[in-house]
Amino acid sequence: MDFSSALRVSSSGLTAQRTRMNTISSNIANINTTRTDEGGPYRRKDVVFEAIPDGKTFGDVLTALPERNLNRVQVTDIIPDRKAPILKYEPNHPDADEKGYVAYPNINLMAEMTNMIQATRAYEANISAMQSSKDMAMSALEIGR
Amino acid sequence: MNRLFDKTTEGLAASINFRLMRNNITAANIANAETPNYKAKKVDFEKALSRALDIEGLSQASTSHADHQAVGADGVSGVRVDVYDNPEGNLSNDKNTVDLEKEMAKLAENTILYKAALQLINKKLGALKYAATNGGR
Repeated sequence: MDFSSALRVSSSGLTAQRTRMNTISSNIANINTTRTDEGGPYRRKDVVFEAIPDGKTFGDVLTALPERNLNRVQVTDIIPDRKAPILKYEPNHPDADEKGYVAYPNINLMAEMTNMIQATRAYEANISAMQSSKDMAMSALEIGR
Repeated sequence: MNRLFDKTTEGLAASINFRLMRNNITAANIANAETPNYKAKKVDFEKALSRALDIEGLSQASTSHADHQAVGADGVSGVRVDVYDNPEGNLSNDKNTVDLEKEMAKLAENTILYKAALQLINKKLGALKYAATNGGR
């Protein structure tokens, strides 16, 4: 257990929250997208966070109690939302079906904005944690001065 | 006193190590503040450390006879830190028990006490230096 592991853990949090932020940005940007590579409207994406023990080796993780309890966070998957798309009657739209309905992504802008604020706050919390670890390391360098 | 570094310095050295550990675990809790099913971890060392430092004088009292067994722990180096899932956290919808505000407060407090311990160590070392340099002359 050293300073670098604290910084590693905090930076994993930063990476995870940034990935989440990117996903949210993509959701907001594509709120009206009706064409995608996989066909159909854009589907809202969601990140899956997972806690990963931060041991250097398997032995570390197995034996050392503090190491076993030190968890990094990782985005293990980005999953598409399975909600049905919103149908709007727009017969003139090129992507309209035979009845004149266009499938739009089922994205709630308010929910996305809330998630975005949450991601920002979590990111800031990780920055603070990193800052105080750095602070501690710097003052430890002053021992015996 | 028969050693260069007394019990206080040893205790301070142990406490900065444990505070580093608490800082790391708290940082991990903050990093995992949004991870589903993650349980907030807690580091406990204060009681074990004060027992090892024998503030209450238990081990002196208990070894007045050769057949007596010491109640106190085997010195500061024998202190084991306890890291466990914090039972105090509220359960949220995703079964995560991290309380971000509490963790931030703990982090700030821990950093301050870490620095306090460092200052005390520096004072101890300063006193040694003063003695070694013949009172600054």
